[in-house]
Amino acid sequence: MTDGKITIKKENIEFRKRVLETPGAEKLMLCYQCGTCTADCPVAMRVKEFRPRQIARLAVYGQKERLFEGDTLWLCAGCYTCYERCPEEVRVSEIVSALRKLALKEGIIHPAYRALMRSIAEMGYIYEIDEFQNEMREDEDLPPAPEPDTEEIEAIMRKTGFLGLLEGS
Amino acid sequence: MKYAFFIGCTALARLWGYETSSRKTAAKIGVELVDMPGSSCCGTTYLETLDEITALALAARNICIAEEMGLDIVTICNGCTEALVKANKKLKEDPELRAEVNHVLADVGKEFKGTVDVKHYVRMLKDDIGLEKLGSMVVKPFEGLRVGAHYGCHMLKPSDVMLYDDPEAPTTLDELIDLTGARSVQYPNKLECCAGPIMGVREDVTWSVGLEKVETVKKYADVMVTACPFCYITYERCQLMAENSPEVPVVHYPQLLGLALGLDYEDLGLEENKVDASVLLEKMRD
Repeated sequence: MTDGKITIKKENIEFRKRVLETPGAEKLMLCYQCGTCTADCPVAMRVKEFRPRQIARLAVYGQKERLFEGDTLWLCAGCYTCYERCPEEVRVSEIVSALRKLALKEGIIHPAYRALMRSIAEMGYIYEIDEFQNEMREDEDLPPAPEPDTEEIEAIMRKTGFLGLLEGS
Repeated sequence: MKYAFFIGCTALARLWGYETSSRKTAAKIGVELVDMPGSSCCGTTYLETLDEITALALAARNICIAEEMGLDIVTICNGCTEALVKANKKLKEDPELRAEVNHVLADVGKEFKGTVDVKHYVRMLKDDIGLEKLGSMVVKPFEGLRVGAHYGCHMLKPSDVMLYDDPEAPTTLDELIDLTGARSVQYPNKLECCAGPIMGVREDVTWSVGLEKVETVKKYADVMVTACPFCYITYERCQLMAENSPEVPVVHYPQLLGLALGLDYEDLGLEENKVDASVLLEKMRD
């Protein structure tokens, strides 16, 4: 995330409104920048461009472009440390989650996430579990892997509109 | 006791030692784990950050299978546990959300009814079997074995969803380790995340987070014990990739318990653990 002056225009306020309307992000405006989230974040300790406190600040100011650039939104490991410790229950993990949903609506998703989601849609699992796997399982005295009905999975993902978003990303 | 067994993707595809030890250790204590026909990926903790309804619907589809079986679900992956527990709780408590998800599920002939519970394997052991009973079943206790427990995030968090143990000072896994005769040690940053979920975004970060923890554990313990396949892979693989591997065996909890209950090392898939775990056999009471 680059440093720089923040300007707040109408579209920024509009974007903030969309964040606040996303379930889980309702308390964003209560953030008083104490920095507990960044201080305790296992990723922020090692990656200087990942600053949970800054994500909250940029979201308050509706700075969509800066939030959507690079890997910012995709570096959260979802460990919920900030969720548990946020004194105002803002919970940056939930803000990140809301921002990812809004990013996807604009066709933005990290390639690793896209690949995982496509695997689920195509195979019902995040990995391919094929004949070879089942032969190996047999050698281990394990029963065959449950076979998900991939048509059902795809139908669910299509109906919610998620597959369409993924295809458009 | 009988449960629907939700294996999840990672153990199913990659960690047969975890799956097989979970099955055999359960059987040894009289717990029947029944496979869930047609079950799929849980929905993942990733998907819930991208689309809530899709994540809930995929989780609910799996829960419906257990509902049809009339059995509570036992999971062995923290990610699956969080995804399924969260969906189960939200859909049981929020009629509007439930109607929305059931509208999606109706197309595939399923309906979430809210009739079963979801719990992690270790929670099943502690709550449904009990520490005392498990302890009384130990026939080959460890002696002098120091264990560094790693809980993993999603067994306990988000705590207002998981509603189990103390997310800042949990004891379940430590207690389950101690009853085998081993000693679960305290070590710095015991509750830190493995960073496995960002493997696809910044692999280098995952390996360095992993290695840091393994090196810490090495100062305090002989082996590390996990209860999640994602965490396990991180702590094992970071060592395989390190120039100077700390060589700390990483062990799935059901493997540890299984040995203490008298099951064989090979039968518990321990030969598949990529860092040699035979120290477990050396530290058993004769």
